[in-house]
This record gives sequence, C-alpha cells and structure tokens, in this order.
Amino acid sequence: MRNWLKIVILLWLCLPLFGNAEQKPGDHSRYVQHVERGFVLMFEGNNQEAISEFEAALTIESQHAEILHYLGMAYAQEEFLNKAIESYERSITLMPDNIEVLYSLGVAYFNLDKWADAVAPLQQVVELSPEHARGYEVLGKSLVKLRRYAEAVPVLKEALVLKPQAAGTYYELGTAYLNLKEYATAIENFKQAITYGPARYADPHFGLGTAYLRLGDREKSRAEMQLFQQYQKEYAEYERLTRLTRNEPNNLEAWTGLAAMLMTQKKYGQAIQVFQKCIELDPNNAHFHHGLSRAFMNLNYPKHAVEAARKAIQLNPGEAILYNTLGSVYAMQGNSQNAIAAFQKAVELDGEQPYYHLNLSRLYEGMGNQRLAQEHYRVYEYLLSKQK
Amino acid sequence: MNISCPNRNSCFSIVCLLLFSVCIRFGVSAQETELILISAGTFTMGSDSRAADERPMHKVYLDAYYIGKYEVTNAEYYEFWKLQESNSTDMVPQHTPENFSHLPHIGDWPTRAEQFPNYPVVGVSWHDAAAYAAWKGMRLPTEAEWEKAARGYTNRIWPWGGAMEPHANTAAMDDGYENRLAPVGSFPKGKSYYGAMDMAGNVWEWTADWYSDVYYWYSSQAAAKRPKQNPTGPTAGSWRVIRGGSWIDAITRCSTTFRFYLYPNLKTSFVGFRLAKTAEKASK
Repeated sequence: MRNWLKIVILLWLCLPLFGNAEQKPGDHSRYVQHVERGFVLMFEGNNQEAISEFEAALTIESQHAEILHYLGMAYAQEEFLNKAIESYERSITLMPDNIEVLYSLGVAYFNLDKWADAVAPLQQVVELSPEHARGYEVLGKSLVKLRRYAEAVPVLKEALVLKPQAAGTYYELGTAYLNLKEYATAIENFKQAITYGPARYADPHFGLGTAYLRLGDREKSRAEMQLFQQYQKEYAEYERLTRLTRNEPNNLEAWTGLAAMLMTQKKYGQAIQVFQKCIELDPNNAHFHHGLSRAFMNLNYPKHAVEAARKAIQLNPGEAILYNTLGSVYAMQGNSQNAIAAFQKAVELDGEQPYYHLNLSRLYEGMGNQRLAQEHYRVYEYLLSKQK
Repeated sequence: MNISCPNRNSCFSIVCLLLFSVCIRFGVSAQETELILISAGTFTMGSDSRAADERPMHKVYLDAYYIGKYEVTNAEYYEFWKLQESNSTDMVPQHTPENFSHLPHIGDWPTRAEQFPNYPVVGVSWHDAAAYAAWKGMRLPTEAEWEKAARGYTNRIWPWGGAMEPHANTAAMDDGYENRLAPVGSFPKGKSYYGAMDMAGNVWEWTADWYSDVYYWYSSQAAAKRPKQNPTGPTAGSWRVIRGGSWIDAITRCSTTFRFYLYPNLKTSFVGFRLAKTAEKASK
C-alpha cells in the first residue's frame, strides 16, 4: 500500500514535466513541419501553398523574423504586395537592421508605385550595406519616379560602380540626365542600356528618340521611335502569349508562339520549359523536339540536345534541318564522325541549303581534310550567291 | 589512484568490446574527418552563361587548403553535441540540430544519430556548423574554396563533368533516393575532380561567406589585374551562402556555380555542411 502511495506521489510530481515535454516540443515540431513544407513549395515555385505553410508556422510561433521575410517574399511573388509589406514590417519590428527585409520592403513599395515610401527603407539598406548594388538601383529608380533627378544621378552612378552592366540602371540614369537636359550624357547612357540589355529592349530607344528630338536631330529621333514601337509591339505580344498560356494552359498555339518568341529573344532556359509543355500537349510533333534540342544546344547541354534531336528525327525522318541540328550537337561534343554523317544526311535530303555545306566544310577543315573542306565551301558560296 | 587489474587479458577484452560497441553504434564516428588536399593555384570561378549572380567567369587564386571528403555526418556531429550536453550551462549556446519527426527518414535528434550515423547532419544553423568546425580545429569553406573543390580545373558544370547525369541525390526520381537523404558518399560516380563526394545534391552546404549578388563582379574586378587572392566574400550581409543543391532541388540548382542563400540561424532538413582547413605552407 505504502509503495502504491509512493508511486502515485511520484507520478503526480512528474506530471508538469510530462505536460511540458509533450506540449511544447509538439508545437515546435508542427512549426518546423510547416516551415519545411513552405521552403519546398517555395523552391518549386508554388508560392500560394508556401504562403499557407508559412502562415500556419507563424500561427504556432509568431516571432520569427526570417520566416516572416520568406512569407513576404512568397506574397510578393504572387503580387499580393500589401500582404507582403505587412509581413516585411512585422519582420523588421523583430529585426530592425535586417538589410534584406528592408530591401524587400523598398521593392514592394516601389512595385506598388509608392515611391516615396520606398525611399526610406532603401536608404537604410545602402547605409547599412554600402555595397548593396540592388539597394542603390531601386533607390535610384524611386528617385527618378519622384522626379528627384539630381538626387537620383549619384545613387544610380553608385549602383553602376557596384554592378556595371545593369541595363535597367543605365536606362534610369539616361532618363535622369534627359530630364536634367544633359542630352549627350543621356544618349550615352541609353546606348549603354541597349548594349547590356536584353535583345529588343524597347525603352532606351524611346529615350534616345526623345533626346535626339530635343537636340534637333529629327531623322535619328524617328528611327529610334520606330524601333521603340516595333519592340513594344513584340513585348505586348509576349505579354499576351504569357497571359494566354496562364489562363488557358492547354492552348497549344499560344505555347508554340511563346516558344518561338523565346528562341528569338535567346531566352533558352525559359524556351526549354515551354517546349516541354508543347511536347506534353502534342508528344508526336517533331518541331517541338527540334526546338527543345536547339534550346538545349544553346545552353550547352549536348547530351539532352542529342536526345531531343534524335526524337525529332524519329518522328520526322525526312526533314533535313533535324539532321543539321543533330550534326551541330555532335560537332559540339567533338564527335566528328557522327557529325559528318548527320550533315551528309541533311545535304542528301536538301542539297540546296548552303549552311549544311558550310557546316561540313568547317568540320572537314577541323579534321585537316582541306580538299573536302574547300569543296563544300565552294558549294556553300555557290548556293549562297544563287539565293541572293 | 591505482586501478588494479587482476587479469590483463580480460581488461584488454573489455576495452576492445567497448571500442567495438562504440564503433558499431556510431559507424564512422570514431574516424578522423577525411580531408582532401586542394593544392594552391588559380581556378575559374563563376559562369558567363548561367544566373546573373554567377557572372562573370573570373580567375581566383587560392592557397592550398583541405576540404572534407564528405559532408559532416550525424555520427560526427553527435560527438560534438554530446560534449556540449555534458558541459551544459546557460552561458553556452547549445548547438542541437532541429528535430524533423515529420520526416521519417530523418527523425528526431539524437535518435537519428544512432539510426542514421552515416547520413549528413541536417537541421543545423550556420552558427552550429561554424561552432562544430571550430571545435574540430577547422572552419567552414569560403565560397571560393567550395567552388574550386567542386569544379576543379576543368570548369565542370557538375562535379562529375558537363553531362546531366543522375550522379547526385536531387529531387529527380531516378537517383535511388526519392524524397529522402542519402548516406554520405552514396554516389561515387558523382565525385569531384579532387575526389570530394556529394558536392552536388543531398544537402546544401553552408559556406563561410555572406551572400551578395554582385560579389562575383567584385572578385572579377580585382582579377582584371591579377587573380583575386583567397577571397572571403562581402564584409556584411543578412544571408550566408549555401552551395551544392539538395535532395529537394532540381539538378539545375545543384551545379558547381549555382549560388543560394539562407538566414544563418535557420535549421532546415536540406542544409548541412562540410569542413575546410588551411594547409600549412611548406617551409623553405
């Protein structure tokens, strides 16, 4: 009886310990689980579900500045900018000097067109981290939007010291100089924006057009404005196709158009994903496998490029260009024998295409076979002149 | 105090048995960290054709250093953790890995150290990793050291070469470790030029450096005149650089140049670390 009593007293004394041990770590375990899932989903690009997970984690443990930052980033990705700002501000309350949250906050305000609100956190970023190129960049852009051009110039210049080939920054600097009526410097910066920017970057052409007009050079101005309009149309088309593929995920025509546009713009990484989607919708279309092969080739993934080209040939063995692509990839891999065989097949199917001969000529030259190299080069020149 | 031992043989047997049981329990734990010597020299860092923060390609000179052949394992970390537990005071921060009871292949600490001694330790913050390294008389590799050990002199896209092969534990479904960690060294074909294992996939690895998206540009500016010497990254930041990709990542994120970042105090199931150590210069 006495032993029983001892056991009961002992258990009673231990109860609070058991209570703590079960409840607290259990909650923390759930918190960890949500955070982990949130990360995985965020890395997969599934921001909506990542948001739910981070929110759930923060319901359990609310005082995590880092997770609040990730939550804000997920919101921002989904363009819920007000929610993003709310998360960033909660994060900053917990960790006031966190450079990256301050930067994210500035960007969110900027994207909401609240440029005046963006300035303060971004100024804090560059004060805390004087090498923060992105901080200077967005701060400069905000100042341009606020028409504080004279203040924007040194900020944007600093951004360019830190990150010299940033086309967008050159464009903003050009805009600032344009409004400060320093047209020659503006032109210089717009040209740099074109040099370093993506192919068919429209905005700097508008800047150039305006600057030339103010300098009285109407001809140059008109030419630049025409380019601006053309590139803007292309961009609008890109936007249209992107929206269409988002709203109608099975619209093959939209995916095809988008793939072609991405290849033209040399955005091969994105093109791969789009071609893969096209293949998912229409697996037996050689054109898509061919496009995929060319995108892989441009990103220097020869093994994948060969696989895709072979698949295209399997689906459409009579098309010369497919063999030419296969030959090019083999040549990239240094596999001259297979490359020659593929190019020869291309020539056999379409002997009138000069570039197949040029490819053969280059390959033979590399192998030291000058006779065949010259022979194919002559054919190439002949066919080219005939085409002209 | 003298300890008498009536029978030397039996004493010896007991000691052997104890050692054996420790070895069985913790696998490789009794072994010293296996290090690879990376000789001094210049290598190419970054890439011109990949993400913006990897640009540009530039030359960097590094003195000779050692790098862990494997990611630090549960068994290895357990020794450190155990020692801290026994010295526990409120003043000393405890470097205990996060528990992942929701991930059956990892589970709770320290049970997971016993069940999976040869798996990379995860759930450790940057601070935990740095403390462990200091305890071992070593340090975390700088970003430059990590990259050189992974890509070698031949600018490999992945540690094993330029082809996208299933030689690493990634999110892909063809590597034999779907949705889970793998024991360290499970992909011998995936070893780097220098012989370091798992530099792609399995777990991201903490490096010593702060993250900056323009760091490579900075390095390259210095390299324009002569290769940057032993760079140690930006002086400040919010995020520490993690490298190599993990079991939850696509193989494209596991390349030798892909850079990523995480808050240093976060403990996740996909970030671990490996050790590094400066090699003493040979006396003339």
